[in-house]
Amino acid sequence: MAEPTWADWARERDDPKYAQTRAEALDDITVLDLSYKSFAGCYCSSMLAEFGAEVLRVEPPEGDFIRTCTPYGILHKGEGLNYLTEGRNKFHITLELAKPEAREMLKSLAAQADVLIETYRPGTMDDWGIGYEALRAINPGLIFASITAHGQFGPLSRSRMPDYDNVIQARSGGHYDSGEIMPDGKDYDECPWAVPTKAGPWIGWIEAGTHMAVGILAALHWRELTGEGQALDVASAEAYASIEDWAALWYQGAGVVNERFGNLNTAGWLYCFAPTKDGAVFLGGLRLEMWQAFADMVGKWEEWGAATWKDLASFTPKEEQLKWAALVFAETRKYTNEELVGMSVEYAKKGRLAPITPVVAPVCSPEEAMHDANWLDRGIFVPFKDPVYGDLVVARAQYKMTETPIRTKWVCRPVGYDNEHIYLKYLSLGPRRLTELKEAGII
Amino acid sequence: MMAEETWKDYRETKHGKPLPLKGIRVLEVCTLVLGPSGPGFLSRLGAEVIKCEMPPLGDTLRSMVPFGYFFREQSTSLIRPNPNKYWVALDLHGPEGQQLFRELAAEADIIEENQRPGVMERWNVGYRQIKEINPDIIYISKTGFGQWGQYAVENRPSNDGAAQGMSGYAWMSSFPGRQPLKNRLYICDSFGALMGEVAVLAALHYRDRTGKGQFIELSQSESIMRAMSWIWPYQHLTGRGAMPAGNRDVSICPADTFRCADDTFLALAAPSPEEFRGLCNAMGRGTLADDPRFRDHLTRLQEENATRILGIIADWVRTKMPQEVEALAEKHGFAASGLHSIKDVVEDKDFRERGFVTEVDDPLLGPFLDYEFPVMMSKTPPKVRWSIRPVGFDNEYVMTHHLGKSQDEIRRLYECGALGKWADVRGRRPPPDWDGKAGLIMARE
Repeated sequence: MAEPTWADWARERDDPKYAQTRAEALDDITVLDLSYKSFAGCYCSSMLAEFGAEVLRVEPPEGDFIRTCTPYGILHKGEGLNYLTEGRNKFHITLELAKPEAREMLKSLAAQADVLIETYRPGTMDDWGIGYEALRAINPGLIFASITAHGQFGPLSRSRMPDYDNVIQARSGGHYDSGEIMPDGKDYDECPWAVPTKAGPWIGWIEAGTHMAVGILAALHWRELTGEGQALDVASAEAYASIEDWAALWYQGAGVVNERFGNLNTAGWLYCFAPTKDGAVFLGGLRLEMWQAFADMVGKWEEWGAATWKDLASFTPKEEQLKWAALVFAETRKYTNEELVGMSVEYAKKGRLAPITPVVAPVCSPEEAMHDANWLDRGIFVPFKDPVYGDLVVARAQYKMTETPIRTKWVCRPVGYDNEHIYLKYLSLGPRRLTELKEAGII
Repeated sequence: MMAEETWKDYRETKHGKPLPLKGIRVLEVCTLVLGPSGPGFLSRLGAEVIKCEMPPLGDTLRSMVPFGYFFREQSTSLIRPNPNKYWVALDLHGPEGQQLFRELAAEADIIEENQRPGVMERWNVGYRQIKEINPDIIYISKTGFGQWGQYAVENRPSNDGAAQGMSGYAWMSSFPGRQPLKNRLYICDSFGALMGEVAVLAALHYRDRTGKGQFIELSQSESIMRAMSWIWPYQHLTGRGAMPAGNRDVSICPADTFRCADDTFLALAAPSPEEFRGLCNAMGRGTLADDPRFRDHLTRLQEENATRILGIIADWVRTKMPQEVEALAEKHGFAASGLHSIKDVVEDKDFRERGFVTEVDDPLLGPFLDYEFPVMMSKTPPKVRWSIRPVGFDNEYVMTHHLGKSQDEIRRLYECGALGKWADVRGRRPPPDWDGKAGLIMARE
């Protein structure tokens, strides 16, 4: 029998539809997630819960405020749509940490946990007597992970400002220099869209949470080697700022402050969104041959003198980019998105420079993305039947893995849904005692 | 305060502390941003990363610089994703280079690559081939579309901008009625790379427990779609497409970017009951907090109410300087910040004091400011120790130290083209004032 192709071999082993039959990478780990008013913390614990960690999501009895952060105030079965996507695989319990008895219960949970995630203002956990120093006395192996606006130390650590996504984006540089260029002779009143423009999704929060997940996993590896736990500290704006590629060096070396450059790319050509007959496409040609292939693909090999081009550096200066962008856009406007994508795929087969071809990708609405057969086939938008919330589409199965694939067991839980099971399992508290704790406002 | 005890002198003492991934060996065949950033996170955490480039030009990112500006003749873009690495120029097209790679792979814990699907296998260094010589290997392949499915089979290339376009991320990061806007950060590259390391380190934990390695595939589009939260269930439940809203956050109210008296911009958020009351008091309009349209967050989020309250705030901020609003936010406990430029970020006092913005004293580049991996770790602080190197700069060190090659063997590897050095091109060669020695670990004469 012939050896299967690489694509078939990989799919046979890592297609998400086989995930339920495989092992889980983190099923020996217990996580307490005390996130409050922070999607960063929720996303962080989701990263671990997807791999099988037992995440105990601790909320105040009225539920975390983040549950109310939902587009246009829309609820589904009483739940905000953002929280609905990140309650996944977590056990939801309640605990009123303002009360001393609740803190004693928290200590008992922490004594049995590997990781604790919290997002309260720095000092709050210490004031409650459940900060890192107090908990490590009980459990020296504990990894204590804090995500806040300004971090646990430093001049602003005592700031009263809470940590929200749009303000993270504002503080980390990426909001300032993204956005459309102001047309000549116009101003903000005429063009209210030609302003610094933030990213739509909660990427500031999510970068903070994902960085922390990586930190936690590195700390777990260290603990395997030494038995030692430790405290981890993420300041959200630092996390989002840290991904910036070149502007910080440009500023240091040349004193230039990077400004908005619309849909072009200050640090490279060919790299832009280009308008088409029915929308826009992304064009990428970061090697000279790819840019030449683009010129050839749109029939401009001769006219643009592509054969004589020596390197991409001469296309990168601002004036050159603006000049060439106008020429390129005049060509792309002649075609639809589908035509241009098809031309690039064909060029890779038959073009003068084949298999080299420019990157051409349609700029899609999320509605188009969600119905794209390629993504449906890869399992990321397969509807999930949740025992509480019914049929739902949330993005999942984002990595494909041969041994320990991630999986979704449930998408979310109402506030306190798992109190009975978890308090019995970890603290041997039965129904009678739980009723008392509930009446006392502790859970 | 106890927390102050934990973090006392963190910045000053971190260079004397161990790194959490000490002893982990990573081999990368990566270019641009999606590929190298992942091993770049691990190298900040102490893993030993050998970066294999194709001689003599190496990583495409070596050409990518803002409006043609090189930093000390090096690519400004190459620096961030590539600290603390060892640089080997290895030609994987021929059998000798492939054999050398397999020798390195036999000793590696993790391999990361971002070639098109199937290319590594064509070079005889794919997962199927490497696991024969190193069955415990953790091997991650990072691309636009994964290893299988229509787009992968069509062999479509991808970039960050393609993923921003195809995922709907750009579409949602725009003003309504405008052409979708590409976010200027390579977010799908760097975020995809970060998500990849979540999977790699989870796999490492599994290997720590069981001894088993595995293959991981990562798509940058799928990674960013995973981060787009409400958009998918909203579309599924309502049957409507999600719409962009400019700088307004439609899930948090109020949260938007406003124009100040000096025509600069400020982001503000004050959704929780106490924060919203604080904002109303700061505006001198405390009664708004009790207005039935605004009192409760879910009610306030409804389109008509949100538009109304955001209009009131916009009018107020238009009369203020950003510093005034920031001071009031601090006093009243809501969140606000002027939009920080790259200058503000590099010079941020808080970032400097915490050591997030850190001075690297590099033997080739000289002193400059870089960013640490943004997770402060009390026992095992991540660190940027050295920066980027010319193509093939550490060949001799890696061949001698890791593979025990003799001088004659190394000479033969150069002769047959398995190893190479930099082309005499900006971004590939050393800085102009290099003395022929600085930064070299072996063979300085």
